[in-house]
Amino acid sequence: MKKYAVIYRSVLMENLQYAANAAMGFVSYFVFIFIFTQLWNYVYSDPGQLIAGYTREQMIWYVMITEMLWFGTRAAAVSGQAAMDIRGGNIAYQINKPYHYALYLLSRYTGEWSVRLPMYALLSAVTGLVLVGGLPGFGILTFLAVIPSVVLGITIHAVFKLSISFFSFWIEDSNPFQWLYDKLLLVVGTLFPVEIFPKALQPLFRLTPVYTVCYGPAKLIVDFSVEKWVEILVAQLFYLAAGCALMFFIYGKGVKRLYVNGG
Amino acid sequence: MLTAVKNQVRVCVLSVKYNIMREMLNKVTFLTNILFMMLNNATFIVQWVILFRLREDIGGYTMREMMLLWGLTASSFGLSHILFARVFSLSDLIINGKLDSYLVQPKNVLLGVMTSATSTSSIGDFLYGVALLCVFCFSVKRFFLFLLFAVTGAVIMTAFALLMGSLSFWLVRADMLGNNVINTMIGFSTYPDGIFKGGARFLIYYIIPVGMAVYKPVHIMVSFDAGELFSVLGFAVGLSALSVFVFYRGLRRYSSGNLMEARI
Repeated sequence: MKKYAVIYRSVLMENLQYAANAAMGFVSYFVFIFIFTQLWNYVYSDPGQLIAGYTREQMIWYVMITEMLWFGTRAAAVSGQAAMDIRGGNIAYQINKPYHYALYLLSRYTGEWSVRLPMYALLSAVTGLVLVGGLPGFGILTFLAVIPSVVLGITIHAVFKLSISFFSFWIEDSNPFQWLYDKLLLVVGTLFPVEIFPKALQPLFRLTPVYTVCYGPAKLIVDFSVEKWVEILVAQLFYLAAGCALMFFIYGKGVKRLYVNGG
Repeated sequence: MLTAVKNQVRVCVLSVKYNIMREMLNKVTFLTNILFMMLNNATFIVQWVILFRLREDIGGYTMREMMLLWGLTASSFGLSHILFARVFSLSDLIINGKLDSYLVQPKNVLLGVMTSATSTSSIGDFLYGVALLCVFCFSVKRFFLFLLFAVTGAVIMTAFALLMGSLSFWLVRADMLGNNVINTMIGFSTYPDGIFKGGARFLIYYIIPVGMAVYKPVHIMVSFDAGELFSVLGFAVGLSALSVFVFYRGLRRYSSGNLMEARI
């Protein structure tokens, strides 16, 4: 584990040097939140109205938190890096190093979001307070309790993104699969809470990564309860184990198909 | 003069044709990119089905009109990226001094740059827009209007991207400004204009041209107005002229990066 900690630390230090670059994405994040605030203001015709059990403030905060996770954890390490390494042949220089390639990318990714996410969290807090006001019931204890769920959610997301990237061992370009996975999370997980979908579909969505990656952490922040916290953490641990098994399986199968042509 | 224009158009058409042929070298990847982009866009139908279950109209739009807006945005965006994808990364060419290889060619510099790249997945965007129109609100008149507005929308998006990209001739970090403004335009264009009030409405109609690129055309397709149609056409021509003027003014300030690069 020590070597992965060293990789994490070096990427963290590198990203701290260029923290200002991460701030450039703030504009897109802010525009998105602004549009959704306008949209929900329009949909909630009565300020006291409840939609799927959420007040207007909770709904806007839900979108802000899921989008904060979305924008704050976007990193090339798990979406494009593996696919590019495989397509370009650079992976030949990576797999003979004394670390597991998938865990190396996960460590890099963790180093990247460790800088970006806190910046987005701060921006979200300020934007939320200005646009909709404080979140009732949210305090320091909730904040501390939610941290493990957020970290697990991001790691599960990375494991699934990497699994998809490893499809590049078979097909040249795995990006189209990334788009579909991203859109599943974006439309079903980040724009709406699961409760807003028809009751018949809700159990199905709870089986997808949406529940553990987006819904779980955001739900705990806007409407915390200990029972929900335990339920979400157990689901996340199960999902992480299953996701890692899938990732190592795909990588193991794929790397056997690799041909190195020299050069 | 006419022969020169004809030759230039022929070069542009050939350039786009060879870009697409190059992308088609791997047919599976080419088709996957197109089909998955269509599927990718289709996921947003879920978003609007959910929202229209909560309210019958959103910002004055029904589901049918919303799909028309989405379709026009997708087709305009797709067309601009099929024909002129390089415009959207113009800043990179300017900042890194990569325009040299275009400057030495015996054809129009700007058209050479604009048609030098094609985005395969954008073919999926364009087809998705047309498919949405056919499924949700087809009529022969609307179909032709849709094609016309897809062209004007593509022209406006390309011209605006050219304008933003050309700022890099003067400003060092104009690429970030340009990218953010273009993303903002795309972001707004898939939500009904009726939900925006005050300053935001002013912004989408007068600062970033999303109002002229998609909102006004959708209003015209729903309720035809010849005056409005000519205002959209006039705006597309005016913005294009302005962006070409700014590009050539900026080009005077361009300095080479001494990069060894060849265009074949």
